[in-house]
Amino acid sequence: MKAVLWAQFCKDKRNPLVVLLFIAGSILATLLFAGGVSSPTTVPIFSEEKNASEIEKKWESLLNVSDSFRFEIMDPKQARENVRDGNIDVAVKVMATDYRLVANSERPTVSYVQQHVEKVFNREAQISAIAKTQGEENVRSEIENYLEDAPFQLDTQGLDSEHIPKYNLSIQLLFAFTFLISMFIAGLKVNNVTNDKVSGVWNRMILSSISKTSMYCGYVLYSFLITLVQVLVVLLLFKYVMDYEVGDHLWLIILIAAFFIFSMISIAMLITGFVRSPEQFYAIYPSLIPMIPLISGSYMLPGTITNPVLLFIADLFPMVHAIEAIMSVVFYSAGFEDVIMSLLLMLLIGVVAMGLGINLMERRGH
Amino acid sequence: MLEAIHLSKNFKGKKAVQDVNLYLGHGESVGLIGPNGAGKSTTISMISSLIKPTSGEIKLNGVNTITKPGEIRKILGVVPQELALYQELSAYENLHFFGSIYKMQGKELKDSIEQALEIVGLTDRQKDLVKTFSGGMKRRVNIAAALLHRPEILILDEPTVGIDPQSRNHILETVRMLNEKEGTTILYTSHYMEEVEQLCDRLYIMDHGEIIAAGTKAELLSILSTEDTFKLELSKLDGNFIERVRAIEGIRKVEAFQLQMKIIAKKGSNLISELVHLADQQHIQIINFQTETPSLEDVFLHLTGRTLRD
Repeated sequence: MKAVLWAQFCKDKRNPLVVLLFIAGSILATLLFAGGVSSPTTVPIFSEEKNASEIEKKWESLLNVSDSFRFEIMDPKQARENVRDGNIDVAVKVMATDYRLVANSERPTVSYVQQHVEKVFNREAQISAIAKTQGEENVRSEIENYLEDAPFQLDTQGLDSEHIPKYNLSIQLLFAFTFLISMFIAGLKVNNVTNDKVSGVWNRMILSSISKTSMYCGYVLYSFLITLVQVLVVLLLFKYVMDYEVGDHLWLIILIAAFFIFSMISIAMLITGFVRSPEQFYAIYPSLIPMIPLISGSYMLPGTITNPVLLFIADLFPMVHAIEAIMSVVFYSAGFEDVIMSLLLMLLIGVVAMGLGINLMERRGH
Repeated sequence: MLEAIHLSKNFKGKKAVQDVNLYLGHGESVGLIGPNGAGKSTTISMISSLIKPTSGEIKLNGVNTITKPGEIRKILGVVPQELALYQELSAYENLHFFGSIYKMQGKELKDSIEQALEIVGLTDRQKDLVKTFSGGMKRRVNIAAALLHRPEILILDEPTVGIDPQSRNHILETVRMLNEKEGTTILYTSHYMEEVEQLCDRLYIMDHGEIIAAGTKAELLSILSTEDTFKLELSKLDGNFIERVRAIEGIRKVEAFQLQMKIIAKKGSNLISELVHLADQQHIQIINFQTETPSLEDVFLHLTGRTLRD
């Protein structure tokens, strides 16, 4: 087994680019799609009133209270042009007590902006109305002080603790993309079995003193280690360099990732059992793999997929169990006992797929 | 030493090898020759325990190697037809890997690698990556990988396919040296008759999955002791002339290629005058006429009706 492992690592040492590219790809995909470099949506505001500058300044400070949007004063002509050219979805034309949205189509951003702007303008209208009837100048600060300690307050509490974790889709996407790329690396490395069978190296090993169990173990362990390295590099980078909040149980996350990698290697081994050449594997495997996170709902908030057929299919793959377990560790501080069922399911998938895959390969050999 | 008895192999109902009997004596150099698709590779895959025969037995010193493949694997070195090497690794690293899978390590492994590299003449290129080697050098590393555990029997499956004459000679010399100096028993398969003629004490000729002839070179040539072979070079050649030559009494086979004809006829047939007369009638000039000593190629042609590379 050591000899097989050594030879495979030697090959990677000579050509490390593929693994490095996959690691970089994993980081990039997370940054691009998981909001790692996301910033609040910029919404231009402008006024065409006589005292435009005064109005713009007033509403700029009042509107900039949400993390999701950043309202910026812009020249009216420029703002309209940007909307027309599709550079931005929406701009807000502000008046003394009213506003207009400038948009070229009904996009989701338009309604989000409208909700926010509407709320701010309503509040301001109410404060102005109260100020007029009361005739007091400092009514605004009075209202604000009062609302800070309002007689009716909504307090939310979790089942087990006072703290209710905020579900962060970015963290889920970080794992989804890391695992997606890891599936490609695992498959690519498992395919070395087929490569070696075609080249004749496999037959040389059969004729040697090495047992078949050692041969398979060598390939599986090599694929496992190289994929685990990729996952570890990405996770550590995101946790310690990019400050992603992945919880305090990093060891448990790595354990879950290890189970996931094992079961994905087994699935790759199963696919290897069906193909005759490395080229067939390269054609089939990359077509199947991107479907797994989609079916498993790994790019969506939990509960988005409700179709029982899709849910059943998703359960057959380790991705859904891995993401579920990791999210419960990250957001709900789940312990080993809480994720043991997910680990066992991944192990079961792995054992069954590995058994079938090796069996198919051996039958083909005869 | 090693014998295959009534060996057959079917692939999805198609007979790849049928009733093959083959014997390898200790220290012998035996050739297995036949055209592509004759069943040579399947036969040696069965002998080397890579695939199980559909029927028949393989015995090594009386021990059935089909049920006990470990017996033959210990003393067997196989040089496959394909380049079973890691192209991304150096020659030394490849040999290190193939030695390690035979549980060799330390000084024993190092010495074996050095010796194997010396045998194939690649000591000075051992650090170079295999992918940078020429076809002939790759074939030599392929052979070296099979020599590391000092096998008693070496099976070579067409080891000279697609390489330059210089590398080919090097490989043939290496095989001869292994047989004569090291006492290694050789089973050499090829579709180059001249290679097996040079290297082997005995030959097996295979075609369509069957052994069609076996014996020493002299024994095989005696098959043609009742025939004469003539070679003609003509000024022109057409189908009509070939047909009329074929019709001459005593002629057994006629083979034509460009402006040359090879005629195998019953020994003692007085053909010269008839051929000259026929050529004259057809206005064909005989430029060259020679009587050939029959070769193993002629034996193959006689047995199968086609040449080895057809």
